[in-house]
This record gives sequence, structure tokens and C-alpha cells, in this order.
Amino acid sequence: MTQITEETFEQILKSFIRSEQIDLSGVSFIDPYGMLALLEIGELCLLEDVRKTIVLPRSEEVCRYLERMDFFTHARRSFSLLESSSAAIAGRSQRSSDSDVLLEITAIERSNDIHYIVGKVRDRAEAILVKHLRYDEHAVNGFIVALSEVCQNIIEHSENKGFVGIQKYRYPKLNRNIVKIAVMDVGVGFKKSLSNRFPIKSDLDAIDKALLHGASRHEDEGRGHGLAAVRRFVTQWQGKISIRSGTARLSIIPQWSRGREQERGLTQFPGSQINIILPEV
Amino acid sequence: MAKFDLHNLLKEELGNNSKDLVTRPSGQAIRERIEHDIEQEPDASVIALDFSRIGVIDYSCADEVVAKLVSRLLSGEYGDKYLLLTGLNENQKENIEVALERKDLAVMAELRQGTRVILGSLNNYLKDTLELIVKKKRVTSKDLADARKLEANTSGTRLLNLHKKRLVRRVEEVRADGKLWVYETL
Repeated sequence: MTQITEETFEQILKSFIRSEQIDLSGVSFIDPYGMLALLEIGELCLLEDVRKTIVLPRSEEVCRYLERMDFFTHARRSFSLLESSSAAIAGRSQRSSDSDVLLEITAIERSNDIHYIVGKVRDRAEAILVKHLRYDEHAVNGFIVALSEVCQNIIEHSENKGFVGIQKYRYPKLNRNIVKIAVMDVGVGFKKSLSNRFPIKSDLDAIDKALLHGASRHEDEGRGHGLAAVRRFVTQWQGKISIRSGTARLSIIPQWSRGREQERGLTQFPGSQINIILPEV
Repeated sequence: MAKFDLHNLLKEELGNNSKDLVTRPSGQAIRERIEHDIEQEPDASVIALDFSRIGVIDYSCADEVVAKLVSRLLSGEYGDKYLLLTGLNENQKENIEVALERKDLAVMAELRQGTRVILGSLNNYLKDTLELIVKKKRVTSKDLADARKLEANTSGTRLLNLHKKRLVRRVEEVRADGKLWVYETL
């Protein structure tokens, strides 16, 4: 496997979840979703008292990127890291101020983590969201609010910790810049979270209720609108959002992208995996 | 008018240098502090929550701070007090409005450029009445009846309903022809 992204997540799960060693030596591209997927596989293994080994990519460029995103800091908690090239981690990169990283991989456990995330993104908003996505102040504030809500979803509903990471890319097919936001946890997932209040038929039904209808496990009518607000923001700015939970994925796909809106029968994976892509305006 | 600087409250309650009202637990901490401070204010006070040094307010925090405060104000938990939001920017206004509309609530607000607006849900008759009060500052039932060509009891009911929603202050005034209620903008 040469790419670790949402598109290859199902393959990753099938091949990595059972093997003792996760071999990334041939990987030439990995995005925030891919990194978070690996970390969550590690978290899941930790829950089962299993510690896997990751064979790091041979590509120095990929290793430098993993370093810039703070992947190793979190990966060391749940994996043994094995370098496939002696230069890989040794050649640690210096973070430059013109980096395309909007937010390094950050753990979300408490409310204060979200204040940290929001503050960090605000500090870098001018360099990434304004310069590369051409967002104005109103859109930047909307982005920050959407990010806060999607991260709170973990604290409010997963009953577990999660991760978030954000990166800007050049998207050749569009000839435009994009920002990718990945948010994941291995908590209880949408179906279990909502099933005490609603008759939930399936994982897809649960995601649908949360994303499109503002369903919440809490009775208070002021609850449960965070994800619906995220969807409104993403749609307003012609972005793409997909939420995977359990064995299903629901996506809202803009004209510039492709994919299936509803997927069922995927490999069981706990918690929720959210991917958001926002294009330059 | 008692002014509560939300940035100061955020600093004191959370101590994390954040200028953003985000997350439900943070909103709960801020609301509890406001509730405590409101109790120290005398009856008939207008409590102005100043957003001018706040960055963003997310939907969860808008619900936890503003919608819950308004809801409890209306149920009489804080006694005879009024609530006004000040120094709002466009983003803050939008997010608070969403939180209020979900619960069918309304609150008076003053935007950063000084314009007074109503946020949330309010029927058109009451909105129209409120706009008149904001424009004239002080209105009696007779003033409203004359301005909008209404029956006296209709204008009185509208003014009373706005007062019950804590959107206007009601003061008793003694004039040559007797006592009457005057409804004032917050």
C-alpha cells in the first residue's frame, strides 16, 4: 500500500488490524485521516493489551511530514516504531512558519483541549485559511466554530479520547488549495450513543440522524445541533464531509468530488471517523 | 446598567487565556458565574453581557450561556432583572440566534456598531411593537395604540407580553391624570 488515506482506510483495516507488524515502508503519501486511522488502530490494540510494531516509511519526505504532524509523539504511546531507513526519524525537520500544517495531531480528552485547538488554529488562520483558502473573517470564524463542534462530538458522545489533525494541500484535479480535517475516536459510536433515545436501525441510520437531523442522546432541545451546524458550514463552502461509524459511512459530496453517499457493510471499527475537505473559494 | 465583561469572566473562570466561548463545560462555568453575579445586582437591573472582547461563540456555548440564561430569566429564577447582549459581531449574532430559535426564545442585543436588534424568536406583532419602543425609547399603551391604530386593550397586552419576555422595562409613572405604566427600552 503506497497511500494511507480515507480512500484506502478499508484496506488498511483489513490488513493492519490482524497483523502484528504494520509495514509502512512502501508508503509515499499519508494524510491526517490516514495518520489518525493508524493511531486509532493503536488505541484499539492498547485496549486489548496488544502493542504492535510500525515499520516506518522509507521515504524521508513522508517521515519528515509525520514528524511535523507530531505523529510520532502519539504513536509511541501505542506502537513500537521500527525505522526502515536510518535517516528516517533522525532527520527531524524544523517546523517552519510557512508550514502547510494548520494543526498538528492533537489529542482531545477535555474541554480545555478544544480551547487549545481553537487558539492554535486562530493563530495560523491568516497563513492558511486566509492566504490559501481565501477565507474572510466571517468564514474563518465559521471554520473555528465548526471545528469546535466536531471536536466536542468526541467529548460529548464517544466516552473516549480522540484525535484531530488539519493540513492544507494543493489539489491538482481542482487546481485549487484544500484543507483536510480529520477527527477520530474509538469510543461508543453513533449507534450506541443514540440508541437510548431513538429506535436506531443501523449505523447508517444513526449517522443520518446525527448529521442530518440534529439527533442527540440528550433530551434537552438545545443539544445535538453541533454536527448539523458543521454540515451547514461544510455545505456553504462547497466542502465534503464523511462520517464513518461502526460498519457504515455517510458522505455529503460536492460537485467537484466523487464517491458514494451511503456505504454499508464495511469492516466493523468502533467510534467515529470524520473527514472534512474544504476547498479554496 | 451592570456590565459583565465576558472576556474577564472567561479569564477568571477558565484561566487558560482563551478569548473564545467554546464548549459546553466552559459555557456552563461562565453561566454559573454570571448567575452568581446577577444575584448581587438590585431588582430592575439591566445586565449587559459584553461580547466585544470575545472571539467566537460556538452553538454549544451559545445554548449553555445565552439560551439557558434567558430561559431561567423568564421563569423568574433571577428575580426582576433584564438581559441585554452588547458588542456582538456578525458571527456571534448568528450563532446566538440559532441557539435561541431552537428554544423559541428572544433577547435584546446591541451590535458592535451600536444598532439595537432582537435576536431569536418573536412574533411579528411583538417585533413591530418592540421596534417602536426602541425608536421612541419610552412608550405607553396609548402611544402604541395611537401609533399603530390599535384598540387600547390590544396595545396594553402587547406591551405586557414584551415585558413578560423581559425585552422591555416597565416603570410606573404618576401623571396629572393618574398612574400609568411606561415601557422603556433596555
